[in-house]
Amino acid sequence: MAIIKKSAKPETSIPTASMSDIAFLLLLFFMVSTVFVREKGIPVRMPKAASIEKIPRNHSATIYVNKNGLISIDDFAVSIPDVKYVMQKKLAEDFNVLTCFRTDKDTSYGIMSDILNQLREAQTLRVYFEAKLQR
Amino acid sequence: MIRRKRKDLGGIPTASMSDVAFLLLVFFLSTTKFDIKKGLGIVLPAVSDGTQKKVKLKEDNLTKIWIDKDGIITLKSGGNEQIIPMSELQKTIHQIVKDNPDMVISLKTDRKSKYQYMVKVLDKLQASGAEKISLSTN
Repeated sequence: MAIIKKSAKPETSIPTASMSDIAFLLLLFFMVSTVFVREKGIPVRMPKAASIEKIPRNHSATIYVNKNGLISIDDFAVSIPDVKYVMQKKLAEDFNVLTCFRTDKDTSYGIMSDILNQLREAQTLRVYFEAKLQR
Repeated sequence: MIRRKRKDLGGIPTASMSDVAFLLLVFFLSTTKFDIKKGLGIVLPAVSDGTQKKVKLKEDNLTKIWIDKDGIITLKSGGNEQIIPMSELQKTIHQIVKDNPDMVISLKTDRKSKYQYMVKVLDKLQASGAEKISLSTN
């Protein structure tokens, strides 16, 4: 009886030597790109707009305004007349400061107008109204 | 003859290296939040301290837009005043700015009006290429 010799199957395996290289590469990418959120803010529903531009992150101070008129800067509730002093302080820390509004879309414009007047008095004149991209 | 004891080669085990890396990777993956802010930019006018001269704008170089508390937009350009729907605002303003590049757009919003109406109109103004925009309220 003839014995048929089975041919030896080639071993298949995924090379795992470079696995850690890949992992470290991804790890470094995420470590570098991660920004831990410094402030919590207050929940707002932002309006939508189409012609929006990117806001430079490193000079921006964010003012949150919700629809009840609560104003929050750096997680402190601020009343309208105090906005001026807070922003003056920010201007002293960073000359190129720009103000970024995260305002609820249902806020009445009167509050915004008052805050804008405060910003004018504080000489922080660069303002961005943050919005979501309209699709 | 004294037999030398074979020295044990010291080494850091690298088998679990990828485990460690992946653990850290997953941590950063789950905590990363790409916080890209986008919005409409505008530069406010400085508060006049009395030393600056007030520049009077010619009536021809001024277009007034009024948003009332219900979000109805009234456009006043030159002599005529008209209520304009949001959808046609961009086209109209684009034409106005094209005809007169010095045109100043004054956006006046009712204090009781909603913020989103003002942002929408400002969005349309910026999209239409208007560069001289002033914000005010009653």
